[in-house]
Amino acid sequence: MENKFLVEWKRSCVRIGAPTNLIAAATAFIPVLWLCSTYDCWPALNTVLAAWGMVVLSFGAFYIVEPISYYAALGMSGTYLSFLSGNIGNMRVPVAALALDSTSSQPGTLQAEVASTMAICGSIITNLAFTTMAAIVGAAVVSILPQFIVTALTRYAAAAIFGGTFGNFAIKYPKIAIFAIGIPFVLKMTTGLPAWVLIVASVFGSLAVARFFYVREGKAA
Amino acid sequence: MDDYLKIANSGMVWLLCSITVFIALLQAILYMRMARKTALEANIPQDVVKTSFRIGLISAIGPAMGVFIVMVGLMAAIGGPMAWTRLSIIGAAPTELTAATFGAQASGVELGGPGYGLTAMAVSWFTMALNGAGWLVFTGLFTPSLEKLREKMSGGDTKWLIVLSGACSLGIFGYLNNNEIVKGGGNALASICGALCMVFLVKCVVPKCPKLMEYSLGIAMIAGMACAVVFDVMAGK
Repeated sequence: MENKFLVEWKRSCVRIGAPTNLIAAATAFIPVLWLCSTYDCWPALNTVLAAWGMVVLSFGAFYIVEPISYYAALGMSGTYLSFLSGNIGNMRVPVAALALDSTSSQPGTLQAEVASTMAICGSIITNLAFTTMAAIVGAAVVSILPQFIVTALTRYAAAAIFGGTFGNFAIKYPKIAIFAIGIPFVLKMTTGLPAWVLIVASVFGSLAVARFFYVREGKAA
Repeated sequence: MDDYLKIANSGMVWLLCSITVFIALLQAILYMRMARKTALEANIPQDVVKTSFRIGLISAIGPAMGVFIVMVGLMAAIGGPMAWTRLSIIGAAPTELTAATFGAQASGVELGGPGYGLTAMAVSWFTMALNGAGWLVFTGLFTPSLEKLREKMSGGDTKWLIVLSGACSLGIFGYLNNNEIVKGGGNALASICGALCMVFLVKCVVPKCPKLMEYSLGIAMIAGMACAVVFDVMAGK
């Protein structure tokens, strides 16, 4: 029964997510196309290609590595939602994980999909409300905030959220947690590997360690 | 030559930028409708739906306030409407600023510097849109393949699937925390205190007061930020 619903759920996820993500990729070009045609300021194709090449060199690996690495934590609907709305590490994954814990939902079940989807959607509404407010009253608000609050929110909020989410997972899998933090630390200290290699090494390294313990405990039991 | 910012902040640009923001909102609304409907049909308690939504709404307030402040800075650099769209969808402020800067550099000028006019701004805008499209097109086309990959890796073993999800999350957050820890100072402290506070809350406080679980991440975030700010003050920064 649950299975039938899950199959239907996944199908609907793709039907909503695939077109909206692709359409958003296209609509993001509307302002610049309007700008160039209205003010006749079309840049040379070579210049645009050069700039594109520079961002692909800097971020291109993340286009692929991030969706793969975050997939198990986000699920299907969560992947579409998170890679359209962004703020994945500091908002979407933490709220999805917290929702599963608070509602005692097991990953992979339909209830988990519903819970993480609702949590991620809730966080998107909050994010959109804040960016829209920033657009309207942002400058006025920031000018009256004390400096330490600005520092705390811009520099430390993400770090604290990363820590909190890691702590919650570490309670459940303390052995894996040691490797999850140890692998990127050792690699960062001893090598000059680029960031995307560190992500791949942390995720798949932790996965390999988890598999090792899982198989060993399975044999012991 | 500040003309370009006047155009970047014009009503028409606000209107055109709102299309993409609207699609992000629309997608969230469609998924919420689907989740509510599925919960009803599959007899998933309404409580799960409501609690999860509230958790998302509330826990995101802290990080969203961070986005709010960063966006004010970004508005000065690339104009209000562009900052609004770019921070409402994929690509955090540093990513967008990098893309806008590369656009300017490819045009042979500095972002917002002398000679940065409409044509250079157009290159910046193209670059941000092209960069964001990388993630959107990849997930738009290949998310079903990622699901197949997960199924293959779990091999139908539901117990392993749970451990697998946890291990992936630990790997990601191990990487993210490590970035903060190697920066040292307030960043390291925020990350470590956030983690310790969360462990304390979940181990010692939540068992007595389960309702608090929903707010645990928000509390851990505030504790982590507070430790970092106190450290900065003591260090005289």
